[in-house]
Amino acid sequence: MVWQGRWMMAGKWIVGFVLALGVFVAPLPASAGKADNSIRFAYDQAPENVDPYFNNVRIGVIIGQHVWDTLIYRDPQTNEYKGQLAESWKQIDDRTYEFMLRQGVTFHNGDEFDADDVVYTLNFVSKPESKVVTQTNVSWIDKAEKIDKYHVRVTTKKVFPAAIEYFAGPVVIHPHAYYEKVGPKGQNEKPVGSGPFKVTAYSPGKSITLERNPAYFKASPKAQAKINRIDIRFIPDRQTQLAEILSDGLDFIMSVPKDQADQLQAVPTLQVVSGETMRIVFMQMNILDNTPAPALRDERVRRAINHAIDREAMVKNIVGAGSRPLATICFPTQVGCTDEGAARYAYDPAKAKALLAEAGFANGLDLDIVAYRERNQTEAIIGYLKAVGIRTNLRFLQYAALRDVITSGKAMLTHQTWGSFSVNDTSASTPNYFAFRAEDITRDETVRDLLNKGDNSVDLATRKDAYKGALKIIADKAYAVPLYSLPVYYAAAAALDFKAYPDELPRFWEMRYK
Amino acid sequence: MPGLIRASVWHEMTIAAAPSPSAAEDSAATGFAHRAVREPALMIGLALIGVFVTLAVFAQVLATHDPYAQDLTRRTIPPLWYAKGNWDHLLGTDPLGRDYLARLLFGARISLLIGFCVAALAGVIGTVMGLAAGYFGGKVDIAVSFLVTTRLAMPVILVALAVVALIGSSLVVVILVLGLLKWDRFAVVIRSATQQVRSLDYVTAAEAIGASRWRILFGEILPNVAPHLIVVATLEMASAILLEAALSFLGLGVQPPLPSWGLMISEAKAYMFFSFWLIALPGGALAVLILAINLVGDGLRDVLAPDGRG
Repeated sequence: MVWQGRWMMAGKWIVGFVLALGVFVAPLPASAGKADNSIRFAYDQAPENVDPYFNNVRIGVIIGQHVWDTLIYRDPQTNEYKGQLAESWKQIDDRTYEFMLRQGVTFHNGDEFDADDVVYTLNFVSKPESKVVTQTNVSWIDKAEKIDKYHVRVTTKKVFPAAIEYFAGPVVIHPHAYYEKVGPKGQNEKPVGSGPFKVTAYSPGKSITLERNPAYFKASPKAQAKINRIDIRFIPDRQTQLAEILSDGLDFIMSVPKDQADQLQAVPTLQVVSGETMRIVFMQMNILDNTPAPALRDERVRRAINHAIDREAMVKNIVGAGSRPLATICFPTQVGCTDEGAARYAYDPAKAKALLAEAGFANGLDLDIVAYRERNQTEAIIGYLKAVGIRTNLRFLQYAALRDVITSGKAMLTHQTWGSFSVNDTSASTPNYFAFRAEDITRDETVRDLLNKGDNSVDLATRKDAYKGALKIIADKAYAVPLYSLPVYYAAAAALDFKAYPDELPRFWEMRYK
Repeated sequence: MPGLIRASVWHEMTIAAAPSPSAAEDSAATGFAHRAVREPALMIGLALIGVFVTLAVFAQVLATHDPYAQDLTRRTIPPLWYAKGNWDHLLGTDPLGRDYLARLLFGARISLLIGFCVAALAGVIGTVMGLAAGYFGGKVDIAVSFLVTTRLAMPVILVALAVVALIGSSLVVVILVLGLLKWDRFAVVIRSATQQVRSLDYVTAAEAIGASRWRILFGEILPNVAPHLIVVATLEMASAILLEAALSFLGLGVQPPLPSWGLMISEAKAYMFFSFWLIALPGGALAVLILAINLVGDGLRDVLAPDGRG
């Protein structure tokens, strides 16, 4: 009896132990990474909504390009446009485009792709009532009409030469029957696209699992995926990400800060790849009538802030390889972007102090600054401002909260970044902040008119001229502080074969394990 | 004029009469000093605090660099004892090229300032409430007890986070928020101590000679509950310093570039794996300071209330 009791006790302990072990082990897949041909990827922000039209964070763009397809595809190596959902296209006149659609493409839910999907998606997202987050991406679309089942005509509101670039970027196509039924909310809860990967599990704010779409159409310029599964986790803390990739809990992370990337290079199980991206970094200054910082309405104060920051030193020491200092608010390769003739503000703290004194702030000035990423860079900016007598009050926020502060006119200084949705045209960058859109806290009518002219002219020379004029005014009146372009550092398992592109879009469909 | 003599002294003079008052006070003082010296924890704690206070006061003289001067060409230099260390920056530099020793020294100022101010503010509020509740009893006691219970129901860090998130963060805000939140222990301890003291003979005597309530509360009772006050104050000081560090770590404490230890730990977090000293130095300083204050608090409790010792 006693023996039996003991054995039963021991048995209970063993069962308990195994159960407890199960609890700890269960959330982890049995094997991961190279072993089961999957990529475990972590990102520090979570999209508000997975539907690419209803978020404007980078991870949203990444998920968008994997789960959905666009009409046109831009080859990242040659920059050549290729047909994706559209087999071919032609421009009928300045404002009209015609697309011949590909046949035999199916969405993840089995729906067949045809003209109705294109027409419904474009007409839905271009309506202002739909409240697409980045209006720049869709507001140029006037309407889409079905000609026949595989034939669509799209009209732009005004002449919009960059249209093809947008068709190849942020303008993804949703399945119309499903989208009509569930809307953006449903697309977030259970996303359905036509892309090389499909969403098989999603818990908002926590993780999303993409699995290879075996039925992906062979003719797509995106390659058939070689990886079976991508497990994306939203891990806000970069230290946790680093710890996980060091301990083989992750296979791929991006936007690793320079200092850590330099150190990770010494780890034999990892590879570090870096390169310049289209993401520009700049500071905005609120000069609206109701600005909480009236001092910023004084051009001398704005020029002082421009002179206070040592862009070259920041680029060289803390931003990293592949970054370059900027003098205008756009990325140099974007069509129409130039810093020719624009005022340049050399690093000159003495001049900054003199300008502040001249403006009546000899004893310094107190300003709020809002920021959301690369905190070490924000702190360097704060240090430079303090050195010339500008005391700052930092509010470090999530991106959505930062945007609210800016659009409600409550911001003073911002530390902003913008990736232009990887669209290689100035219409995707400068106008977002200076053409009276929600985040414009400068509102200069001349600048707006010039930018609109640049966006909506056919002639390339006219466009370039208009953008140049706008960029010159922004620089001359010191409406903002252009800082530098941001490089991105990827750290990945050494066995992963991948290539980095300047558009900050990891292409998991190309990746494979060596 | 007898009215000017403290009633407690009067009480000793007239009722206890036996030894002369000056002799009684002398022996109390020497007894205290005697016990204090025999308390090694107290002595170590006091010595450590002395060191921290000296460093903080003379930070300006001791620091060879401006704690705010950033130099991006001299980033993350390790401290002297590493191979790459150099004599110009004894404890190295942070990732923005600011001298780490200077930041640690000025950080001591901030920590001590916050500790003292919060303990003082909370002490005044809590003591007044505790004295009133303990002495008057009845409705006043019920009211104070209700306030204490209400306050205890609110988690300090959560309330502090919410307030700071709402009105923005700065040194003054952090001190005010913590000071206005951390009075509960003062109130509870002083209340029960007052309840014990109020029925003693010298309080009755003071009442009998017609001393004002004000005078009784602050002239008679307060000095006799002061030992408890000091012990609570040290504990609260330590906890306020830790809370500030926690708030700063979460990005809701003092503002950068102010060199608070909590903020330094937070900024160093990104360098934890490869530049360990960045997080170890402010972390170590914080731990030693808290240890010192707690040693003093513990030691004082033993010395001031010898009957409570085991």
